[in-house]
Amino acid sequence: MANTWGYGAMTNSLGDIQNAKAIIIFGANPAVNHPVGFQHFLKAQERNNAQMIVVDPVFTKTAAKADIYVRIRPGTDIAFMYGMLHLIFKNGWEDEDFINDRVYAMDDIKAEAAKWTPEKVSDVTGVPAEKLIQVTKLYASAGVGTLIWAMGLTQHSIGSSNTRLAPILQLALGNMGKEGGGTNILRGHDNVQGATDMGCLSDTLPGYYGLSEGSWKYFASSWGVDFEWLQGRFKSSEWMGKKGFTLARWWAGAINGKDGNDQIHNAGTGLKNLFVMGNGITSIAQQAKVKEGLDNLDMLVLCDPFVNEAAILTDKQDDVFILPAATQFETSGTVVATNRSVQWRTKVVDPLYESKTDQWIMFELAKRLGFYDEFTAGMKIKENKKDFTWPEDATDEIARIIKTIGLTGWTAKRVKSHTENWHMFDQISGRGYGKMKGEYYGLPWPCWTEKHSGSPVLYNTDRSVAEGGMGFRNRFGLEHDGTNLLAEDGSAPKDSFIEGGYPEINKDNIEKVLGITLTEDEKAKIGKNWKVDKSNIIVEKCMEKGLAPYGNAKARAKVWTFPDQIPMHREPLHSPRADLVKEFPSYEDKSNHFRVDTKYISKQTEQEWVKDFPINLVTGRLVNMNGAGMENRASKYLAALSPEMFCQIHPDLAGKYGIRDKSMMWIHSPEGTKIKVKAKYSFSVSEDRIFIPFHFAGHFQGEDLTHKFPAGTAPYASGESANTVTNYGYDIVTQIPETKGGLCRIEYAKEEA
Amino acid sequence: MGINEFDALKPKVGRRSFLKMAAVATASGATVAFGNEGVTRKATKEEIKNPFPGSTSVKTICTACSVGCGIIAEVQNGVWVRQEVAQDHPISLGGHCCKGADMIDMVRSKVRLKQPMVKEKGQWKRLTWDVALDRIADKMKTAHETAGPDSAMFLGSAKMCNEQAYYFRKFAAMYGTNNIDHQARI
Repeated sequence: MANTWGYGAMTNSLGDIQNAKAIIIFGANPAVNHPVGFQHFLKAQERNNAQMIVVDPVFTKTAAKADIYVRIRPGTDIAFMYGMLHLIFKNGWEDEDFINDRVYAMDDIKAEAAKWTPEKVSDVTGVPAEKLIQVTKLYASAGVGTLIWAMGLTQHSIGSSNTRLAPILQLALGNMGKEGGGTNILRGHDNVQGATDMGCLSDTLPGYYGLSEGSWKYFASSWGVDFEWLQGRFKSSEWMGKKGFTLARWWAGAINGKDGNDQIHNAGTGLKNLFVMGNGITSIAQQAKVKEGLDNLDMLVLCDPFVNEAAILTDKQDDVFILPAATQFETSGTVVATNRSVQWRTKVVDPLYESKTDQWIMFELAKRLGFYDEFTAGMKIKENKKDFTWPEDATDEIARIIKTIGLTGWTAKRVKSHTENWHMFDQISGRGYGKMKGEYYGLPWPCWTEKHSGSPVLYNTDRSVAEGGMGFRNRFGLEHDGTNLLAEDGSAPKDSFIEGGYPEINKDNIEKVLGITLTEDEKAKIGKNWKVDKSNIIVEKCMEKGLAPYGNAKARAKVWTFPDQIPMHREPLHSPRADLVKEFPSYEDKSNHFRVDTKYISKQTEQEWVKDFPINLVTGRLVNMNGAGMENRASKYLAALSPEMFCQIHPDLAGKYGIRDKSMMWIHSPEGTKIKVKAKYSFSVSEDRIFIPFHFAGHFQGEDLTHKFPAGTAPYASGESANTVTNYGYDIVTQIPETKGGLCRIEYAKEEA
Repeated sequence: MGINEFDALKPKVGRRSFLKMAAVATASGATVAFGNEGVTRKATKEEIKNPFPGSTSVKTICTACSVGCGIIAEVQNGVWVRQEVAQDHPISLGGHCCKGADMIDMVRSKVRLKQPMVKEKGQWKRLTWDVALDRIADKMKTAHETAGPDSAMFLGSAKMCNEQAYYFRKFAAMYGTNNIDHQARI
């Protein structure tokens, strides 16, 4: 998404969904995963008569509230969306002006879409042609429509193509930058947007700054440390610029290529020490490999309010540390909701028992590792203080440094006043009343200055930049193959000094683009470009002229640096359609993908998987749990709602294997792993697939491991982890595991006497 | 709880064990009633209206999902005693799902990890924070010097607040590795 128009985040907000005339949901189940947010969807249906379309392999609780439900084969969303585009272009339903003024390379999409006739789409996706036509007609003619997705779209080997084609569909219909439109990703955890913004990632620094030397230098100086010192902490300058291992495949680093496992490229060493803070690593794909990785570590450190179940999954006998971390209600800080808006989470009580806050643990370790002063220096810079106050000085440090996504306006003082006055904002637009007038609730980023309103709808040109308006970001150059990449005339935000497109603003072009003359003093203070301008002069000058500091460009339908320049359908690595694997094969294998060699075509063609593993496997969530589920299973009330692990299975499928309702069954994966779960008859799944929730842990391949918990710390419910049987497979760009579209084999499990 | 009593509480209750269980209940019930005489009294009208005198209300945010619902937490003498929905919050509008409503019980759960522990020779042992941190830092320091900083992996969290997530990234940087990630990728 960031590769389409500049930022990878929800473009509108939950409240704004009430403005939609149609809602199409791909691979998301907000009725279960975001129940309180879902009320805004229901209000759109009630107040606006918005039609809700749900495209999902499973008839979810969200589907139960939909006007149209489309049962799609897992991993074929691209075929379905091209099918929609096929009909849109064929019938002239696209927004020609919008495409002309604000989109690059839509013609390439048009050419690919021409191949996807309703009949072809039907063959690939399993959706009847009439249903595709019905859905497309309804969605294209409804007026402004919102497109929703979650992990059902991302967790595929082609996930990064899925998340490009969905925006392209919205661009074709001119649904971007509009109230009631947009591409609205529903994030999972409470602060997954914030932690991502903060660069808790192996390929970026905070604020999506890359790992180039220029970025590191900006951060070193902003953190108040010497760049050479920081570089000296790394193995070499080369390794400072390389992407690290990810959550999805860190274990490959610990196994270090042993016994035919994928080879790694990690500065000449395997992983020895794993430090985990608040991460249920028992909910990541391929648990057997996770266990193997854990077993191979020198030291495992787990900081969590509850015992992280990795501690009982591993057979490691020494140097497994479990440290009681405080919950988020026992500390204060800022948290970013799915729509880029920030709230102040106030501490409720002191940490219970001997638990300590995450920051205390980090500070104490930094002291022992000898970099505490460097670690905390950034908090004292703004007011040249001797000491700091947590978290306020950290909040202000972040606001001072992160320009890319416009966090300048997120000072601790402002965020607190928003949360304190949450009753003074409109539920749909987010606009403030009374003393909060002129600001949107939670100051959705970009919030360019300490007075800026926040930007509730990204890429909205109907508003001025001062009120949160903007065009698409100029991030991919000024032209490509001789074609202009800046927006055309008439597509600038309201009250803009420039009618059409303009480049991102830097020290060299500011005077020319803005038509101003800087004073000598300003010239001396100004940074190289808007992203590293500590003086914020570039941003301030842009605000005066009604310009977005990042420029006004076209969104691009083609990403020339990706393996597929336009999104292409490719069958999952484990596909139930052997015939289609030949027609839509996966990628070439990829060496050194986040430091580990990754198989694509060789895994897909290793054998005809569907012969031995004929059933599609889909994982998902339950309303009473989230993530690895430990927090919820540690609550007796929530645990009681789903006390044991189960599998939703269609009675006709179950019958073939002699599996009765509530009897036990085995699920086997192509990786040779298995889980034993209780069968639950359900018509929400069709006969070719099963559904299992991923919130359980504590049992492993039929064995109950709960006796390994320290006394008094076992949760009230335990069970097999769904991810013990999720298949091998990772996204070609992001390395997200392919958990939504693998294969499995099932059998009846005899009850032991 | 004795082993027989535990069996008696199992869902598969036969007639005989039910009688046993009833006997246990009566016996303990009688003891409790006897012990409480003179201790309990009728609540005053004021206590019924306000069972937690002197409590304060804290406006805070749910930690379950990314919707960002408001929570009103009532605190008395440092104890989180009650949780209320936020009727006037612009996103949650007085709503709570079962996870959100359970936040108070998550924090007060009896099965929380209560002190630092380490597994040694297959046995869990208690240790102090100081000792735990010294030992962890020692190992990290040694690995940094011998195998190099890329021998470490840091897994942070989408449950951290911004400030913690930002400082976690900074921590990995200052340790000297880009081997850091969180749940954005699952």
